[in-house]
Amino acid sequence: MEHALTLDGVTKRFGSFTAVADLSLQVPKGCIYGFLGQNGAGKTTTIRMVMSIFHPDSGTLSVLGHPDAAQVKDRLGYLPEEKGLYKKMKTAEIVAYFGKLKGMDRSTANQRAKELLTRYGLGDWLDKRCEAMSKGMGQKVQVLGTIIHEPELVILDEPFSGLDPVNRDLMRDLILDMKRQGRTVIFSTHGMEHAEQICDYVMMIHKSKLQFAGTLSQVKQGRDLGIQLDYDGDGSVLQQLPGAERVNDHGKHAEIFLHRGEDPQQALRWLVDHVTVRRFDYREPSLHEIFVRTVDEANQKLAAAGGER
Amino acid sequence: MANKTVLVAQREYLENVRTKTFWIGILIVPILIGLSVGATALLQRFKQTQRYTVLDLGGADLLARAEREFRSGDTKVLFDLARTMQDDPQLASLRQQLGPGGGATEPGAEQLLATFEWMQRQPPELLDRLAKLQTAGLYHYVPLAALGIDGADDSAREHQLNQRVQKGELFAYFVLGKAPNEDTKDFRYVSNNLTDDALRSAYASALTRLVQKDRIQQAGIAPAVAKKIQERVEFQAKQVDASGATADVKKENVIDKWAPMGFVYFLWLAIFSIANLLLTNTIEEKGNRTIEVLLSSVSPGQLMQGKIWGIAATGMTIVGTWVGFGLLAAWIAPTLLGMPVDGGGMLAALFTALRNSGYLLAFVFYFLGGFLLYAAVLVAIGSVCNTLKEAQNLMQPVMMVLMVPLLSMVFVTQEPNGIVARVMSWVPLFTPFTMMNRAGGPPAVWEYVGTSLLLLVTIWLAMKGAGKIFRVGVLMTGNPPKLKEIFGWLRQS
Repeated sequence: MEHALTLDGVTKRFGSFTAVADLSLQVPKGCIYGFLGQNGAGKTTTIRMVMSIFHPDSGTLSVLGHPDAAQVKDRLGYLPEEKGLYKKMKTAEIVAYFGKLKGMDRSTANQRAKELLTRYGLGDWLDKRCEAMSKGMGQKVQVLGTIIHEPELVILDEPFSGLDPVNRDLMRDLILDMKRQGRTVIFSTHGMEHAEQICDYVMMIHKSKLQFAGTLSQVKQGRDLGIQLDYDGDGSVLQQLPGAERVNDHGKHAEIFLHRGEDPQQALRWLVDHVTVRRFDYREPSLHEIFVRTVDEANQKLAAAGGER
Repeated sequence: MANKTVLVAQREYLENVRTKTFWIGILIVPILIGLSVGATALLQRFKQTQRYTVLDLGGADLLARAEREFRSGDTKVLFDLARTMQDDPQLASLRQQLGPGGGATEPGAEQLLATFEWMQRQPPELLDRLAKLQTAGLYHYVPLAALGIDGADDSAREHQLNQRVQKGELFAYFVLGKAPNEDTKDFRYVSNNLTDDALRSAYASALTRLVQKDRIQQAGIAPAVAKKIQERVEFQAKQVDASGATADVKKENVIDKWAPMGFVYFLWLAIFSIANLLLTNTIEEKGNRTIEVLLSSVSPGQLMQGKIWGIAATGMTIVGTWVGFGLLAAWIAPTLLGMPVDGGGMLAALFTALRNSGYLLAFVFYFLGGFLLYAAVLVAIGSVCNTLKEAQNLMQPVMMVLMVPLLSMVFVTQEPNGIVARVMSWVPLFTPFTMMNRAGGPPAVWEYVGTSLLLLVTIWLAMKGAGKIFRVGVLMTGNPPKLKEIFGWLRQS
């Protein structure tokens, strides 16, 4: 399979701090790839290396078949984590400006900026200044600026952060649109539900190290099944469920993992007696659970390694 | 690739120039200057005429003579001087009017103005007398009788006068001593205004002339002898012309010598304000977080160059507008303020000076050179700081360096080929200012070429260094880096 992006043993250090350690990864063309990890795990540093803003201390990269993103800049779209617009510029102007910087000619860029803004519901804002827009609108304008030149590979750093549900859905649709148009999309997030909904592939970094990577089903394969429960009532009682190993209670929804050999049927009976069960599912764990568990395990491993010394 | 630099520069320029605040900022400077000039002139015109009186203890005719001398004595002195300037062509028509056939014996307003113009080219001592002449018009003499003060008792009269001063009815009064030909110990000036000293000093010089004249007469010295004794030594200012002969100093020559100073000041102002604009702009851009998006499309070098050129264009717009206003003011202001200064003539002389010596060309070259050099330094500072406050600390050494050409400006103008001027020319940070400053000299051609080459090489190096710092700095957040770290970045390839 052809890859839009390949990382091979990439390491980046800042002084004595290792931000990314020996990272190897392949991103197939035409997929949506989620980069998961806690804040400070190394996602942004990885993305900046892909964009040639940082250069790795060791290891090699291949972006659209080239070792350096600078050579294919005009075929890449990038939305950084730190998002900003020129406040005094009009929305159509700034989207067109990003297009021109990517090598589009003036009239095409101007025309396409208007088209894109209109298509994504900002037709009334073409001549308004960026400072007048809400955060969600601003973020939309930025994403449109990222894709105006129809890039083959789009990299979005935390595209969902700070958005309300309506704008989150819009952003999700935008990403799905890009995939439909045949582009490769990489985005980083700590919102597991987004990753679970739209990603073909996910990877997770924790404290600079790759924890897992693959398709969603690959990542979930072989993990303990869990109870997915929607309920009404006092959730604190869930912690007392006999045989429960872990309970992730979200108030109306809970994810419960039983010790090995415990019977989910028994658990269901107990639950029916204690809360109003609306939905009961016994299946593979959510990405959220995998994420939290991976962090726990990795931290335990690190602590153990520290203790042995 | 260079195309992207142009795009960045264009955007930078338009963003600055399109805002209202930019134009308000540009216009505020000439407006403020115009207001301050106009206000001073108007204030002078509307300055309240102050009332004063004179109490003469001597009882002779000194009071009447003093008043006459104060009103017209200096005029006559100047007028006499003007008449003696036989070789001044500017005063030719004046002489004719005052000559035997002209009919006029006392100077009228026109003659006074001509004298005034001529005076401006005269030694400061004479200008001082002129100022005193103008002073007389601002103060109004009121005789004692008109104030309703009578009685023979001097102390009683003084007491009444004091009351008038206290109430503010009287600005001041003079007391003339009993025996002016013996001593001046009883001469007094009584006023509660301690800052406005013009009346006192002008009256004093008028009385000095009178008393001297009386004493000379009393001593039986012939007026001609006295005049000879009192004569001041004056040096006539001459210069050596191209043929090696002694020649008169012409108006344009004086402008030639002093124009560079004006240019240096203007250059300094332009470079300083525009480089500052670049600094704040870079910090702002870091603050609004657009840098990283841009860096995915352009290289840090292109971004930096684009910014510098965009701001340079902005600066040229500012400077151009100011120059336009300045020229406009030079043409319009005299008529507007009713001032007798021949603005057109002065300006014409200035333009001739400009054309002949290529000042404008030099100005543009040194403006760009100086701006680019300081821009490199400031953009590097801007890129490592997150707030203006942080930048101010790093700016201090730069400001100190920038003050040197300003402080040495007069010195270099007076000694354009002195050792200090020559050494400073070879320090690239000073080259644009000092070489501009020395234009009156002028320096040798090899000095122009050498210092310009050094300047260009330094700009190139500074840009390269700034590029390296910019590359790392723009993406940094948190505390500004230590100098050691910055040198580390410079060493990296």
